[in-house]
Amino acid sequence: MQATIDRHDYDAIARAEAARRKGGWIVLGVAILVSLVWLAPFYYLLVSVFKSSTEYASGSPLALPQGFSPIVDNAIRVWTDAKFGWGLANSAIYGLIGASVAVFIAAMAAFGLTRLDFSGRTFWFMLIFSGTVFPFQMYLIPLFFTYQQFGILNTRFGMILFYCAICVPFPVLVLRNFMAGLNREMDEAARMDGASDWRVFFSIVLPNARGPMLALFLLQFTWIWNDLLFSTVLGNTPEIRSVMNALQVFQGAYTSAGPNIALTGALMASIPTVLLFLFLRRHFMAGLSVSA
Amino acid sequence: MSNPSESDARLLERIGAGRVAARERRARRRNFATAFLFMAPALVLVCGMLLYPVAFNVWMSFTDWRKFKGLDTFVGLRNYERLFGQIYFAEAAFNTMIWVVASLVFPVLLGLGIAILLRGVRFETTFKNLIFLPRVLAPTAVGVIWFYVYAPAGLLNYLLSLLTGEPVSIGWLYQANTVTPAIIATHVWQTVGIVMVLLLLGLSAVPRDPVEAAQMDGAKPWQTYFHVILPILTPTLVVVAIISVLAGFTAFDLLWVMGAGYPGQRTLSLVVFMYFEAFQKGGWAFGGAVAVVIGVLVLLVTWVQALLQARAERMVR
Repeated sequence: MQATIDRHDYDAIARAEAARRKGGWIVLGVAILVSLVWLAPFYYLLVSVFKSSTEYASGSPLALPQGFSPIVDNAIRVWTDAKFGWGLANSAIYGLIGASVAVFIAAMAAFGLTRLDFSGRTFWFMLIFSGTVFPFQMYLIPLFFTYQQFGILNTRFGMILFYCAICVPFPVLVLRNFMAGLNREMDEAARMDGASDWRVFFSIVLPNARGPMLALFLLQFTWIWNDLLFSTVLGNTPEIRSVMNALQVFQGAYTSAGPNIALTGALMASIPTVLLFLFLRRHFMAGLSVSA
Repeated sequence: MSNPSESDARLLERIGAGRVAARERRARRRNFATAFLFMAPALVLVCGMLLYPVAFNVWMSFTDWRKFKGLDTFVGLRNYERLFGQIYFAEAAFNTMIWVVASLVFPVLLGLGIAILLRGVRFETTFKNLIFLPRVLAPTAVGVIWFYVYAPAGLLNYLLSLLTGEPVSIGWLYQANTVTPAIIATHVWQTVGIVMVLLLLGLSAVPRDPVEAAQMDGAKPWQTYFHVILPILTPTLVVVAIISVLAGFTAFDLLWVMGAGYPGQRTLSLVVFMYFEAFQKGGWAFGGAVAVVIGVLVLLVTWVQALLQARAERMVR
């Protein structure tokens, strides 16, 4: 009996394999074609950043660069004209502080919501989570006005404050679900031994939530790094701008400088998050699956 | 006469139960105080930085607030009436609708098509990573790259002139009839990857048995997809569709970067229109009214999502 089932399965597998092999070459061809279309802008980006302005203007957009050295000049121009150093440093500060503070605060809230018994927990959760319901456009004008009144418009403090706030609600959702699934016996045991709630949070729940917290940190860091809208409204001076805002301003103001220079800026602004993604893809995918 | 010892016992029990309940109530209150302390930073940030602005926005959209005046003058619905008489608003709303429909249809269809195409093909992982790659870039950087792809002397016109044999120099981002499709195409290029990955996650959750059973019964591949896999994939498709619609509604970065040279930039979408009215013309209350319209539309979509998701979950069960 066992043998017939096995042979039966092998037959099915073999038939499926044969069918796939028959159509395989066509499918492979289509897949290659689609990938080429998808890659063309990347190819264009990579050959353009190695061209000088005259070389870019005289040759075809697809031509290979004559050498690698012009990228240094391009990068220097972006660095000085767009104040890109400020932009990169600002975005790093906003992303690191904003994302880590927000995820920590979210973990605290999730601990309060899941590890302590009190009535009305759903209400408090919904109150925090309602921060994700409204589109960003509804925050802009009031925040701009309020920031102006408190004198924190165009300051790093103001930018960090906002990024901390906007990055709290979603991690609360994820960490609440995660912490609700953690075994509560550990908490009780620690409390029996006289540990305070803070101690339980810090030494028992936090270490267990490291995985999702790292994934959330990466998601929120990337979100802050990529943000253009809030930097345009709340922090639009050369010293405060995020890197994406600096890139946009540069591209708008220096279109005559040549595409090769603006494209070098686009590449420089992208490298940090692309590297993060490549090295920590596993964690990004974990974050992706929790967010879906 | 009842047994005195029995009633005593019951009385004691009741007192005991009352004590336990009171202790529990006290513990819950103490717990709430502790929990509130743990939630306090999140509550302060969310209420102060997110919910308060939303309330402020709704309220001030009923005032005559402009630069330096009128936050205390109520005008009722006048901002909204003005809105619907504005030709720019009508155009922006129309373009937003195009965005919503296009960013729903194209990423989902293409994502589903590519997900099905790539399943089991040789070098599957490599292809998937390639398609996903644009997603890793920031929308602003993508906008800069495609700004030059679409430039009159850019990559697209160069490829077209290779195909036609004549010089082509179309200003894709400077003409009313090409600017929105051009930016949407860029948006699709960037988002198909994530849609595909989400759909592949959904596909990998499709159980083997019904698929193999269908194949055993001689179902053609497309029959298997339509009658076996698609129904199981429906919940994922609902999520993906809603994410896509919301992304279409609130798209800003690409429009802001790529539409910078377009003469009628404010009409590109409601979001850009709102930014123009509030931050470039100083019409705070008017811009606030546009923001409220966007907010109502987004809430509507979220509500539909909740309904659809509930139904999809019931269907699976």
